[in-house]
Amino acid sequence: MSQPIIRVESVGLRFDSFVALDDVSLSVNAGQCIVICGPSGSGKSTLLRCINGLERFQKGDVWVDGVSVSGCQDLPKLRRGVGMVFQHFELYPHMTVLENVTLAPIKAKGLSRKQAEDLAFHYLDRVGIVDQAQKHPGRLSGGQQQRAAIARALALEPKAMLFDEPTSALDPEMIAEVLYVMRDLARGGMTMLVVTHEMGFAREVADEVVFMDRGRIVEHATVDEFFSTPRAERTREFLNKILLKL
Amino acid sequence: MRYEFNWGLLWREPYFDWIVEGILTTFHLALLAWILALCLGIVIGVLRVTNSRLLRAIGTTYVEVFRNIPLIVQLFLWLYVVPQMLPREFSFWWNRLDNVPYWTAMIGISFYTSARLAEQIRSALRAIPPGQFKAGLSTGLTQVQVYRYVIVPYALRIIIPALTSEFLTVFKNTALALTIGVIEITATTRRIEAWSFRGIEAYTVASLTYIATTILVILFMSWLERRYQIPGLIKRGEARV
Repeated sequence: MSQPIIRVESVGLRFDSFVALDDVSLSVNAGQCIVICGPSGSGKSTLLRCINGLERFQKGDVWVDGVSVSGCQDLPKLRRGVGMVFQHFELYPHMTVLENVTLAPIKAKGLSRKQAEDLAFHYLDRVGIVDQAQKHPGRLSGGQQQRAAIARALALEPKAMLFDEPTSALDPEMIAEVLYVMRDLARGGMTMLVVTHEMGFAREVADEVVFMDRGRIVEHATVDEFFSTPRAERTREFLNKILLKL
Repeated sequence: MRYEFNWGLLWREPYFDWIVEGILTTFHLALLAWILALCLGIVIGVLRVTNSRLLRAIGTTYVEVFRNIPLIVQLFLWLYVVPQMLPREFSFWWNRLDNVPYWTAMIGISFYTSARLAEQIRSALRAIPPGQFKAGLSTGLTQVQVYRYVIVPYALRIIIPALTSEFLTVFKNTALALTIGVIEITATTRRIEAWSFRGIEAYTVASLTYIATTILVILFMSWLERRYQIPGLIKRGEARV
């Protein structure tokens, strides 16, 4: 089998006495979509940030496409290969959507403005907001902003995408349009690691589901196993809470 | 009041030429000092929020030194003390420059102002959501690029009103340059008064120059504020709740 795009091996991270990640290991193969869920403070987002070197971990290592994150001499290059989408979009409010999408391709990757704009229009079209290109993010709905943020990440043509609760800050109506784009990406063969509580999305799109609690991976199973026969008591408890909304 | 006004005097030689020259000196001194102060202020402001303890210490020292000594004292320090502490070759070269007081004033005023600007910029930088920085890094920009293209342009837009005040302060602070021998508009009016005993007319010219210019600057800056307001984020004249 070919090597995984993302390989996390025994990663440990603590902030003072608080253990954020405790011996976490995970592999994401090309074309796989893995959903991570778990209560807040369980280390899901921290794990994503470790993968593209936004957070420094103390133990273990992460490999992205064979490159070690802890020993990486050129983090910007590594990060270009891993798109990231944030809960609060984090579009640059003083730039138009088009400028948001073309900034990194031009400045980090060295594309010409023309090349970058062609690429931007392609991906804005793909997420369905090409008509919003000249507007500022503040003029867009939350769903449109998140799709713009996805286009910004895609414009670097990454090998994998990390989604950090991409729909948690959205109104229910807008969640669907963002999930639609993500499903489209997954079906198109994008390698994805998604932190979300959208269990409908997990069931339909994900290949595997990971459940984290207190910095540890408690359960890692295929979708069917995860929902039908979760092994850990903590997983059952969590699933009952979020699925039945008791 | 028994005082006969003689406004016509101001249009006569040599006074008229002096006034024009004084106003121009004030203008370019203020503008050059402002540009230098803004560049320095941005760099120092950024140093004060970086992760590096050393860089933060450099930034803090700079700010505390230059904003805690009165500007007039700083001008004298730059004129009399600093050149003596520099290597001999440099101070020879410096003293042989054409207009030493002018360049001294420009350096003094811009360093003083940059310390104040750095604080404004620091507070704006801290108001920017940290996620913006992470987002920039995650797309493969370097730290310097994130500051250059994302954080600083965003911060400057937030603090346009504060920048307006600072520019007005720089403009009016140029009057202090007369103490080290720069013949800007205030020094010019003193000279006119000394020659003609026409103090009221002369000082009216200086006052009008300052007021007219500051009003123009305020109009320009409020245009700039509208032009660069961030759509959907900050609305003019509307408090964010």
